[in-house]
Amino acid sequence: MRLGSKLPPYIRRYTIRIIIFMSAYVLILIGGLTFAHGGVEHAQATLIGLSIISALPIIGVFWAVFRLLVEVDDEYQRLLFAKQTLLATGITLTIVTIWQFLNVYDVVTTGPQWMGVIWLATLGVAAPIVRWKA
Amino acid sequence: MKNRLKVLRAERNWNQQDLADALGVSRQSVNAIETGKYDPSLPLAFRIADLFALSIEAIFLRN
Repeated sequence: MRLGSKLPPYIRRYTIRIIIFMSAYVLILIGGLTFAHGGVEHAQATLIGLSIISALPIIGVFWAVFRLLVEVDDEYQRLLFAKQTLLATGITLTIVTIWQFLNVYDVVTTGPQWMGVIWLATLGVAAPIVRWKA
Repeated sequence: MKNRLKVLRAERNWNQQDLADALGVSRQSVNAIETGKYDPSLPLAFRIADLFALSIEAIFLRN
């Protein structure tokens, strides 16, 4: 069966892009961590390059989400996707802000991390909230 | 904004999916417009009016 043959073209393109970027993310992260923690000392420039390469698939997901907002040709669906994106952004900023002050007041030892992953997770949480009774 | 979309659709024995397909939008969009949860843009309102061969004012009612 073809991938989502009944899905609108913009959703098919979005789904394919997300699958590609998330697959790349998993592969690069596994490869990067194996390389970085392989017992060999690496140059700072190498680790900076590795960091940027590891971030690229997540940046690709950001692009895919915002590209969806451009490509969706159903105005009501665009409104729902925009609401979903804004809600996810709001939840993420709330989490990160609280986390930041937990760090400032020494409740936790590290400041906000994995913000891109948090945003993607909240994007998933926001979808049913926005579409409930929509 | 109130509208007569549900009545006009029923007069033609169309379900929401039929209307959605004719307009090139999702069934969810048709439902949102029919129930007044969403007011369509002017271009979509014109597409709806053209489909029913009516003026926009004959479909969408002032509150």
